[in-house]
Amino acid sequence: MASNDQYNFSIFSPRNLHGRKNRNVIFTMLVIWAVAVFGFQTLLRAIEKPTPEKNLILFESEWPFIAGSGERQADYRAILNSLLMVKGKNTVSVPDQQLLSSAISCVTFGMVPDTGRPAVQEKVAALEIMHADIASLKGQQYLDLKFRAQEASAILIGILEPFTGYKAASLEAPILSASLKNDYPASLTDHSFSRLPDVMRLYLTHNQSVLTDTKFLGFPFHYFYTAVFLLVLFIVLCIVYNRLIEWRLKKEGIVE
Amino acid sequence: MKKLYFTFILLLTGTLSLCAQNLTQLEGSFKTGPAIILIATLVTFVLVGIFFRAKDPSDYYAAGRSISKVGSGMAIASNWMSAASVLGMAGMMYGFGYNGLAYVVGWTGGYVLLLILMAAQIRKYGKYTAPDFIGDRYYSRDLRIVSAIFTILISFAYCVGQFGGIGLMFKWILGLNYTWAVIIGSSVVLLYTLISGMIGATKNMQIQYVIIVVSFLLPVFILAFKFDYFWLVPQIGYGAAVTDIVHGISAPNLSDGAALLNAYGHNFSIVPSPEFAMPWDPSTGTTFFQWMAICFSLMVGTAGLPHVIQRFYVVPKVTDARWSVVWGLFFICLVYWTAPAYATFGRLLSSNPEVGVLAKDAIVVYTAQLGGVNSLVVGLLAAGAISAAFSTVAGLLVAGASAFSHDLYVKVINPKATPKRQLAIARLGTVLMGVLVTIVALMKLGLIAQLVSVAFSMAACTIFPLFLLGIWWSGSNRAGAKAGLFAGSLVTVISLTYFIVGLSGGSLPGQAFISYWLNVWYFAWIGAPLAILVNIVVSKFTAPTPLEIKKFLAEQVQN
Repeated sequence: MASNDQYNFSIFSPRNLHGRKNRNVIFTMLVIWAVAVFGFQTLLRAIEKPTPEKNLILFESEWPFIAGSGERQADYRAILNSLLMVKGKNTVSVPDQQLLSSAISCVTFGMVPDTGRPAVQEKVAALEIMHADIASLKGQQYLDLKFRAQEASAILIGILEPFTGYKAASLEAPILSASLKNDYPASLTDHSFSRLPDVMRLYLTHNQSVLTDTKFLGFPFHYFYTAVFLLVLFIVLCIVYNRLIEWRLKKEGIVE
Repeated sequence: MKKLYFTFILLLTGTLSLCAQNLTQLEGSFKTGPAIILIATLVTFVLVGIFFRAKDPSDYYAAGRSISKVGSGMAIASNWMSAASVLGMAGMMYGFGYNGLAYVVGWTGGYVLLLILMAAQIRKYGKYTAPDFIGDRYYSRDLRIVSAIFTILISFAYCVGQFGGIGLMFKWILGLNYTWAVIIGSSVVLLYTLISGMIGATKNMQIQYVIIVVSFLLPVFILAFKFDYFWLVPQIGYGAAVTDIVHGISAPNLSDGAALLNAYGHNFSIVPSPEFAMPWDPSTGTTFFQWMAICFSLMVGTAGLPHVIQRFYVVPKVTDARWSVVWGLFFICLVYWTAPAYATFGRLLSSNPEVGVLAKDAIVVYTAQLGGVNSLVVGLLAAGAISAAFSTVAGLLVAGASAFSHDLYVKVINPKATPKRQLAIARLGTVLMGVLVTIVALMKLGLIAQLVSVAFSMAACTIFPLFLLGIWWSGSNRAGAKAGLFAGSLVTVISLTYFIVGLSGGSLPGQAFISYWLNVWYFAWIGAPLAILVNIVVSKFTAPTPLEIKKFLAEQVQN
């Protein structure tokens, strides 16, 4: 008569040699799988260092001089460039976007002489209306307004070019024209900008290491490893496992 | 007849070519070409569904066990590749950078677990559904009922994301608002599932896979070619684009020649954006812990999803169960290697602020549009995305309906039900579930990938531990299974409760703590190990597993 213990088994203590070999294959696969996925990410975490973008270094070198009472005036073009480089990112939250737009407007209008400011304000106001209207339009009307807005933006950038240095076709131009608004604090020293350095630090500091800085087939290495290599590895692991199991079943004469 | 056929093709091509010209906006207008492609695709699915329709419950549940391993692999891939894979994953990478890769790795790495721990053993056990296995292995009617309910809940949660994806694509093509798009899309998918059942679905899944993979890959080849990246293997070629995003691309000097432009005439340029590729970047609001927790939850959830596990019942042999996983994974990876390319090109092409804020879940079609890809190809892409959602929803609704009719109605309520009655109950279950899912999908609770990950965590906390211990430890008994299931369910309920309270603007004690550590998108990182641990401890101190179960496991499943 069969005893209750006769058929006891677990993955750690199989009942026979076949089971033990099976267990060894499974554990080997699991270790490779876990180390490849979680081990690599842990390594990435262990060796990373918060690394600032050069725009942050530039911004932080100029920010202490915005009050204008120190040894020199701040380089507002450098500050504007740093602000635009953050505003152009797609991860910026809505409140931070609004803060950046205010700062960009404040710096830009600060560069324009008093006599030229009304013309700029007029163009900015017209652009704001166009951007508000465009969401409700469809088809050809939508396209027409879109092109009119592009033209108006190019004219605005042209007016501002002597002060900002940005040409209409430059990378910064569309970000600048989309950020400008007529309602902005008078100076960067305004208390509403007190969190600006923290915002800049948040968006311009990244976790980098030798694994992220090394290039492989055009990718940052860690990105290639995770997005491409791991998937290849999973398929290879599955094929190897199946081959091993089938080879052993055949060798041991077991029919499933 | 041939002439007539040729004339029809010419007319159709001509009409489609004309329709290709009318694309002016990313959203908001009726798109004729894509609509024709969508309708043609859906008609094909329904015809195939009718042709291969289920004739009895065996066909409905398990396709008569007549599917080959490559065919089953295709069906696994098609069943698997949902709106979350085709639309949601790229959306996550577009919005959250490297964190989105946790979904790519989680949803593929889980197949390794599924293969080495589950696939062959499930086939050897020889049951139709997950509740069948659980009820039988743990000799418990109660557990069968509870696991059937969980199967329905998991399928339900999974379907919510799919219906959202179907709604988004119908909205894009038809130019309707989201509510009507979801209602129309849901009605069509429900009708299709009711007509076809699983055997129709399995045949359709093979066709759907081909449509998904062709429609998904084609625009990436075009984009890589057009924007001067290595286009022969764009799944590698986009690597240079990732590096370009990290370092930024300055606006071209127009005197050097024609500049690369997106569909709106914006320069192919971008500010340096390392946050797109750098791990757990602070600006994306994600952390190392979240990456690991999401990845782990998705992997374990993969091996516990009833509708995925159910696919192993439809292969004729045990070896086919194993190879169908490999084929399935390979077919899945073809799409998963490509999804990050969409996020990458999407990031580059939408960098101009004039493009505006784009819905992350539709970034795949927006990318193709912004890249100036022919609107018919974009339409095919949208039809492919809908196919992906359809194939998954069909599998999910069948799994849910099976749990309802087979595991609850026949095994518990009315064991003498005729096959005809069983089929009618299965169809009633499908309709009920479809209607409820539509209502929840209209609430827009999150991004597609996130919504789907709730189902994964739920499966990982409830079904996975029962299968893992049920297969690999003879000592796991009824009391242990019940206790483990209770622990897993408790974690699930806590996480869902805090999520719902948070959504409604309320706050419970420790709201911030639970929302981070037991987040609804990845609570399985603790729920699954806890359920396993509780199962083991309680099993150790309660009456052992009956001899006949141990004997069956040792002789039939382990050998």
